[in-house]
Amino acid sequence: MSKFDTLSTRVHRHRPEDDGALAVLGVGFSCLLIAFVLFLTGSGLTAVPFLGFLVAAGVGWIAYQPTTAKWLMFLATVVTVMTLGLIVAFIVREAIPAIRMMGVDLLIRTNEPLWGSGTFSLAPMIVGTATTTVIAMTIAAPLGIAGALFLSEIAPSTVREIVKPGIELLAGIPSITYGFIGFVIINGFFDSQLQTPTIGNYFTVGLVIGIMALPTIVTVAEDAISTVPESMKSGSLAVGTTDWQTMKSVTIPAAFSGISAAVLLGVGRAMGETMAATVMIPHTKGFPSPLFDVFGGTGETLTTVIAFEGGNASGTHMSALFAAGVILFLTVLTLSVASQIIESRMQRKLGGKQ
Amino acid sequence: MSTERQTQLVSTQSSIGSRATVAIIGLGLVVFAVSWLALFQWIGGETDVLGVGLFRLLGVCLLFIGVGTGACGFAARSGRIAATPRRSAGLLTGVLFGLLGFLVGGLSGAQTFGLGTAGWLVSAAGIGTAAATAAVFPREELGSTIPPSVFVTFVGAVITAGIIDAGWTWTPVDLSVTLIGPVVVPLLTIVASLIGVWSAAKAHSGFGARGRQSGAFLLISLSILGMLSVLVLLVGFIVVRGLDTVLTDAGVGIGSITVLNIQIPWVDVQIPFLMNVTQGLFVDVNGILPAIVGTLWLVIGAVVFAVPLGIGAAIFLTEYSESERFTQLVEIATNGLWSTPSIVFGLFGLTFLLPRISNNHRSLLGGQLVLGFMLLPLVVITSYEAIKAVPDEFRDASAALGVTRWQTIRSVVLPAAMPGIITGIILGVGRIAGETAPLLFVFPRSTFPSSVPNVLGSFEFSLAPPFVTNEALLSGGSALPYQLYASITSGHVPGQTFTVEQFGWGTAFVLLIVVLALYGIGITTRLYFQRKLQHE
Repeated sequence: MSKFDTLSTRVHRHRPEDDGALAVLGVGFSCLLIAFVLFLTGSGLTAVPFLGFLVAAGVGWIAYQPTTAKWLMFLATVVTVMTLGLIVAFIVREAIPAIRMMGVDLLIRTNEPLWGSGTFSLAPMIVGTATTTVIAMTIAAPLGIAGALFLSEIAPSTVREIVKPGIELLAGIPSITYGFIGFVIINGFFDSQLQTPTIGNYFTVGLVIGIMALPTIVTVAEDAISTVPESMKSGSLAVGTTDWQTMKSVTIPAAFSGISAAVLLGVGRAMGETMAATVMIPHTKGFPSPLFDVFGGTGETLTTVIAFEGGNASGTHMSALFAAGVILFLTVLTLSVASQIIESRMQRKLGGKQ
Repeated sequence: MSTERQTQLVSTQSSIGSRATVAIIGLGLVVFAVSWLALFQWIGGETDVLGVGLFRLLGVCLLFIGVGTGACGFAARSGRIAATPRRSAGLLTGVLFGLLGFLVGGLSGAQTFGLGTAGWLVSAAGIGTAAATAAVFPREELGSTIPPSVFVTFVGAVITAGIIDAGWTWTPVDLSVTLIGPVVVPLLTIVASLIGVWSAAKAHSGFGARGRQSGAFLLISLSILGMLSVLVLLVGFIVVRGLDTVLTDAGVGIGSITVLNIQIPWVDVQIPFLMNVTQGLFVDVNGILPAIVGTLWLVIGAVVFAVPLGIGAAIFLTEYSESERFTQLVEIATNGLWSTPSIVFGLFGLTFLLPRISNNHRSLLGGQLVLGFMLLPLVVITSYEAIKAVPDEFRDASAALGVTRWQTIRSVVLPAAMPGIITGIILGVGRIAGETAPLLFVFPRSTFPSSVPNVLGSFEFSLAPPFVTNEALLSGGSALPYQLYASITSGHVPGQTFTVEQFGWGTAFVLLIVVLALYGIGITTRLYFQRKLQHE
């Protein structure tokens, strides 16, 4: 049958079974489109066209499996991409009332009242997110790069096989668990021993977020380092350098863009970290004075304000929280895209030289 | 190899030198480890060790290390220790020691001697410049031993003399924190021992290129050790403290179950914490069964939703898509989706899903879909990698038999890629099972639920659209990570049996076991298939 298939394509361009498949899939896709539109409008009738789609897909699967499979997979791809688009569209839509009301003040207002009674300024939270991210990256970036070097260049394979799953586990521990430990142990320690004014502050939050961002940096940087072709390293070693000299003067410079991409992704993780920060931070809005007083009584970031107040906010308040989500989402998305561009450029460069 | 040649050429001298440096490194590592224990206050600073307080003993050790590294430097300079030093310890070392000197000068000027702003700036700049000069200008064996030696000796002296001891406190002007001896002393000894160990490691390998390698590798290995210790500490804390809660009133007895009117003896395991509802009139030990069942259903729903979509998209990208630009776009979108903060998914679920599927009520279905959206990019990425890793020879061989592309995919590519795909799914599930943020606005019903969702029993069919309804899917519930969050933020738990902390540790323990089990299975399957591939 399949032989016939290829033969018939060669002889006649036109295949009758294609027409049938296209008809069935056409019906199916129009049903799905109608279902999607009805879903968007919140109609109770969504199930009817969706059922139609299922029937069409089923018929197509039985009668014209190859074509149907291909188009269903195309559909899955479209859904994946569309999810991102839907997220952008819907959170921006909800943020518009707050943006319209506050204008640029939403981002830059630094005078009291900052939050509540009709004024919403995200400036304190932006400062908070920046502060915790800087603290986190001070810890995570050097340790993460060192860890990546160790895994890809130094460790013998037996050690590697133990350490690598360990790092993955570190990434797998749920963020609320980090938060609980940070809340009970680290916050408690700073409160009782170091007499900080509030239970929890930017420093303890940054510390925990830093540990949480570590595995991301290690994994991505390790990938980047291992894309450096073996021939480059061997060339350097052949001149009589030590392993460390090769790493310092060949491997790291060659993988530099990949390593910076890893750090960018780490920044994204640190910024987006929610639960650990939410349970640890004191939720007071304001600016630390002076700005480097990370132990001070103020503490709120973009993620924590959403998680803490989103449950019972409404109106402009809720809209302001969505605006915080938009800022967060766009920043992290930019970081993610930037790191991917850097990475693909690096792979092209190294691949070309190979 | 390196030591062999050295011992052959200058055997007696270098063996004394290398023994001395090994001793210094060993002592430094002991100080480093003990300092961490002291920082965590598992050992008190005043603990009596060999007749002296612990902190003082650490100080004395640092004095030894400091003097020892300095002596190594001079011994290498005068040729008593074999060394192949460079002309300078390098600019980076100089900058780092300059910064260290700046800190030491500034802090001791401001804190110990109480100088004003101008005073401490002068002392900081002076000592910083001196340290940088001492590191950069002499030959390497002095440049990388003398500044560390001076610093370590200084710290050792300050601690031994009791200038900074367990009773010491300092509240810096612009920071709302009071620094106390039991924290500052271990921090100082940690930094000093690291620097001493680095310097001794360089001396051990005779400075130069090899010395730098030893120093760098030592620090890198220590940082990896640090990461693993964090992991062990986290898991250890949770297991030690959580196990008690989980096993409260637990017991194993002989019960019986009735099958077809025949009584069969059965081991009856009772673990109330896992088997009871969280809040109820007749509940002695408040359990987390609703949360466990909730997490189970959430994961099942997310997998059912995301896995077919994700694998489908991955197959399309690897096998069908011919436009590179389209593939790239999808890749960027998928990675963007992967790095999207979890709380944003929560907001998305709140505004997009809830009004449309459950009339603005929080619901299990909403939670499942939101977690499904989070799982989707993970499945796409891992399946994409797994399918791409299938060698093209497989596809060519299959195509050579004259079968269609779809048959090749179905019977050759997918089976070959399946282990990788399954591993990816398991790891992804491990990740979403612990997520709280996306659920916050779409799923929780009450802080402490009193009933377990009955999903299978609540399907109702009708002839009018939407044909199938399920009350349990359309109402909210609780999940393990949410239960932990709820008990932290509400500040109380129902019942008299547990305090908030005990309940929290217990929940964290169960959550950790669930996630670790998933990760364990995922990582083991991956290792198993990797081994199998290598052997073939």
